[in-house]
Amino acid sequence: MRKFDLVVVGAGPGGSSAALAAAEAGMDVLLLERSRFPGEKNASGFALSTKAWRDFPFIADLDLPSMRYNRFCVAHILSPPPEMEERFSISSGPSRRMGYPEARDFFTVGMLRREFDQWLADKARTAGATLMLESLVTGLRRESGRVAGVVLEGGEEFAAPVVVGADGVLSATARLSGLREKWRPDQVISACAVDFEAPRERMDDVIHEAGFQAYFGPGIGGNYLVAYADGVHLGGPGVTNSLVSRLNRSHVKPARELLDTIAAPPTRRLLRALEARPREWQAHLLPWMDRMPTNIYTGGLMLVGDAAGLPEPLYAEGVWQAMYSGRLAAQVAMECLEEGDLSAASLARYLERLEESPVGKEFVGGAELRRLFEILGDPRLSRELTEMAVDLTVNLFMSAQEPKAECVARALPVLAENLPALMEVARIYLPMILQVEGERLRGHLAVLKGLAAALGGGAVGSGDAEA
Amino acid sequence: MVSEKPRSGKDARGGGGSDIDRFALTEVVPSPRDFIFVDAERCTGCGNCVAICPMDLWRMRGGRAELAEGYRENCMECGSCYIACEAGAVDFTYPPGGTGVSYRYA
Repeated sequence: MRKFDLVVVGAGPGGSSAALAAAEAGMDVLLLERSRFPGEKNASGFALSTKAWRDFPFIADLDLPSMRYNRFCVAHILSPPPEMEERFSISSGPSRRMGYPEARDFFTVGMLRREFDQWLADKARTAGATLMLESLVTGLRRESGRVAGVVLEGGEEFAAPVVVGADGVLSATARLSGLREKWRPDQVISACAVDFEAPRERMDDVIHEAGFQAYFGPGIGGNYLVAYADGVHLGGPGVTNSLVSRLNRSHVKPARELLDTIAAPPTRRLLRALEARPREWQAHLLPWMDRMPTNIYTGGLMLVGDAAGLPEPLYAEGVWQAMYSGRLAAQVAMECLEEGDLSAASLARYLERLEESPVGKEFVGGAELRRLFEILGDPRLSRELTEMAVDLTVNLFMSAQEPKAECVARALPVLAENLPALMEVARIYLPMILQVEGERLRGHLAVLKGLAAALGGGAVGSGDAEA
Repeated sequence: MVSEKPRSGKDARGGGGSDIDRFALTEVVPSPRDFIFVDAERCTGCGNCVAICPMDLWRMRGGRAELAEGYRENCMECGSCYIACEAGAVDFTYPPGGTGVSYRYA
């Protein structure tokens, strides 16, 4: 039986980041992957966010054929089914106030997981990790009650004092270790996607750098478009739907809902303009937790990425989280190996550091954001807010349909009419902002309170915002 | 009174989702063994698996869920049936290494 310092299960972004960090530090690492090449089993429309450029210097070297920079996001608000026509849209480049240069330059870079996962696994291998493909882990070795290696289907065993479980949403290591039998239906999303091939020139002319577009609206749960060099993914359903909410909604199939959205007129026009042809159909589960999971380590084992349930609570972005947690797990493994203590008590520092890290901070206010999107998904409120946005923008800035003064006069009462809906939204955002930024924002809040009082509202100052 | 909304240009027919053949758009190396297991005794007939499967591989028969015989040739290993089953009647493991669904453009 071969012995390693560290066995990593799964050569996705989390596993390869763990293996890379450990191998660079001189550890003897085995990286196991069940598929024929890293990236073969992943789906759903991948774009890497600027956080990866901020936190991983080697990401600056990324140069993959499928890459397309996303410097412009578009949110399309559609009218309700069955019409699903454009009603209102919001689009923007990144904020100039972001805290690091890449974040002011772009949002994400779309690229294929087949390319990215292989690139990252190759880095780990070049650093000295042993990569074994087509290797399915079906058991864990145990020594004195702790995880001490893995067993492959077929019986081959590998010993290691510590194992990193980077084996995705349906993690076998989580189950075999007893950390988690399976997710509840309200803790995951079923994401489907259609990959379309499109000529590169069409992509450059029609999409350019508008690499992320989302489709919302009354009865439309947030489907999305992610752009690559030579095609697009249309994926969904999005942020208003966990598996359980979908099942409760009288069994509307996620696959059917996505196909219906693709059939919506604006999407069909876009696909025609792109001369796009469907190339692949994909489906995958994503963990979607509103609080950061805490049962992510035990004696001799740490879970990272999707296996740990780390995708952030609003859009279920998970690749940067996987990379960050993978590297952290490798660092903790090294420390604990040097100290000679791989017990659960010793590995507990993994959770502590993750909670304090940017990955953990993404979960602050997660439950509130989830509630906000559930509220915005309500067909009545969704329609009211959309029409409010139309009245305010069109009447104030764009309309030539009536005398200018009348257009402006039409816009103002709309704000007052919609105050209750706006307060509902503010009540969710403000406590969350206070939790993160606290003192710095209390001054701004005082101004808002004054404004609300002047408008005769006052709801801003009530409830949790005071806490 | 506007009776019918005028729409400019080519109308919205054609293209889009209706002509997407999910089965033709997936590549699967069929697993040599089973990897989804159904305990018919525990099935309550809730239909969650039928509702959630992205490949329509489940049917209701006699009030109980039934997995398509050839599922190994089409299953995308998403595990939705396993998570969605309210009775714990569906068990899911992965197919052997090197087999199962293969995404080239994910």
